[in-house]
Amino acid sequence: MSAETHALLSIDQHLALTQTLYREARLLDEERFADWLDLLADDVHYRMPLTARRFRADRSAALAGGAGYVFDDDKGRLGLRVQRLESGLVWAEDPRNRVRRIVSNVEIYRAQTDGEATVHSVIEVHRSRMDAQQRRLTAARTDLWRLEGGGWRLVRRLIGFDHPVVIDSNLNVFF
Amino acid sequence: MTDYAGLVSAAGAMQRRQMYADPAVYEQELERIFGRCWLFLVHESQIPQPGDFFRTFMGEDDVLVVRQKDRSIKAFLNTCTHRGNRLCRADRGNAKAFACNYHGWAFGTDGALVNVPLEKDAYFSEIDKSRFGLVEVDQVASYKGLVFGCFDRNAPSLADYLGDMKWYLDVWLDAQPGGSALIGETQKVELMTNWKLPVENVCGDGYHLGWAHAGAMKAVQSMDFSGFTVGNASVELEGGLSIAGLNGHSVLATVDGVSGYSFYPDNAGILRYLEQNRPTAIERLGRLRGEKLWGSQLNLTVFPNLQFLPGLNWLRVYHPKGPGRIEQWTWAMVENAMPADIKQRILDNQLLTFGPAGLFDNDDGDNLAACTEQSRGWRTRQLDVHTNMAQGRSGARPGLPGDIAVGVVSEHNQRYFYRRWQEHMAAADWRAVPQYNLNSLQDAKDLAHVG
Repeated sequence: MSAETHALLSIDQHLALTQTLYREARLLDEERFADWLDLLADDVHYRMPLTARRFRADRSAALAGGAGYVFDDDKGRLGLRVQRLESGLVWAEDPRNRVRRIVSNVEIYRAQTDGEATVHSVIEVHRSRMDAQQRRLTAARTDLWRLEGGGWRLVRRLIGFDHPVVIDSNLNVFF
Repeated sequence: MTDYAGLVSAAGAMQRRQMYADPAVYEQELERIFGRCWLFLVHESQIPQPGDFFRTFMGEDDVLVVRQKDRSIKAFLNTCTHRGNRLCRADRGNAKAFACNYHGWAFGTDGALVNVPLEKDAYFSEIDKSRFGLVEVDQVASYKGLVFGCFDRNAPSLADYLGDMKWYLDVWLDAQPGGSALIGETQKVELMTNWKLPVENVCGDGYHLGWAHAGAMKAVQSMDFSGFTVGNASVELEGGLSIAGLNGHSVLATVDGVSGYSFYPDNAGILRYLEQNRPTAIERLGRLRGEKLWGSQLNLTVFPNLQFLPGLNWLRVYHPKGPGRIEQWTWAMVENAMPADIKQRILDNQLLTFGPAGLFDNDDGDNLAACTEQSRGWRTRQLDVHTNMAQGRSGARPGLPGDIAVGVVSEHNQRYFYRRWQEHMAAADWRAVPQYNLNSLQDAKDLAHVG
């Protein structure tokens, strides 16, 4: 984020965007996926890169063909994931699993373009699944949000996932 | 050692659930399956340069695979020979040497101990460094880019171990000049399952596709699943084959030459690539493989824990982490002859369908975990599970090695998988492990021009 500025938004805009982040988390926790999709700009780009543990001094080249992304989704592909979850045929989510998202360490800065904001945050996703099974997944998010039609819409999200091995049997969740 | 003869019925059609949860069974597997069989280490494309290394596992043994200065490949136990610390903590990369975190013993990429701190002051220059090199994996060998390691010096050669399975592996490994590659970072997922269950699921279980993956199939209607319906209401058996009787290795095959890419939402470019390059594939593999198998959905299983699916283009290895836990490692597979945009599309689509957040993969984990969990109860683990679908309905097919059943919805391949497992578990050493390549093709000329 070399282009990052630390100019703040107006207090009203800042508050509205903070509220939007929390509301987004609640919409996902409540499985209100259609409402969540409405929070996303039409040109949204939602990504979670794959990474490897590398030595700090290692300067060898990245793998041929790029590292790849766990999520590399536009609105169409996110819609596909939502359609699957809402098909009534995803047995692993039935009965429903309790999922709680905690959004924290929120920093909001004015972006290069007027009406856009860069948002850093940390998300903790708690999943309560079969019997006593608990999974806690954490990630850092770098977002770009845009003011559209009087509200904030998510334009870009880069998710830095903290787990070299995904410690759950699926990632049927959004971050 | 116990021979555990009662855990699999003679024909492989029934398994005692104890085999998925019993720590004693697992300990014997580490010795007799993972300590004995050839295990996948890495694809040569993942460590192209001297000094390139890749950290992986053979059973629960942590292993470092390193490209040597002469471009050969060696594999070492990833443990310092001094006090046993893990030597390398990175997943992959390039290194000139590996220095232990604990006391600083350093090893060259060839495994030789090259530096001992305080060698003069504290060891009085009396340590014979040549005795403390890294411990090498007993055998390392490649088959057309796939690198395998084996802890057993008495194992058959890799070529003999693979046997007639090589004929099927070549559909991916040798269809085009330039061979194959794995791309992208390793996709690692922890699953609370016994390692045999995902192998079984992919080696022969077309049965679960229309049911377990119904949600994904309903959502992704742009994909064409020939023969399958959402909810498993019906299935078309013609056009698919279950192939086993190959020393524990197996193949699920559709035979239409294109269906491997039918799971992809946007496959026009890939279908064009197949069309343009099919004459080359036929020239190299013969008509049967070039026309009917190359481009088809194939599930290939190399016993015990390597599986790859040309078409869907993922390669996967299951590392056991105890009787009820694995790490599942996945990569995307390409042919080097493919244009860059098709390789990229394959990586994207593989991750969309069978990555850690894969639309299809996400349906499998809980089923496999629950089969494992349900094998732990004292009363439940005394029960059997069954792979008796379409038993006794297999035979020879002209031009194809193996014992072959019609359709990819069959439990034919699982029966051979469990039978092989049982043979290894009961055998004291390789001399007692039967070798069978059923309906073997006679010579290479036949292989190239049948069909």
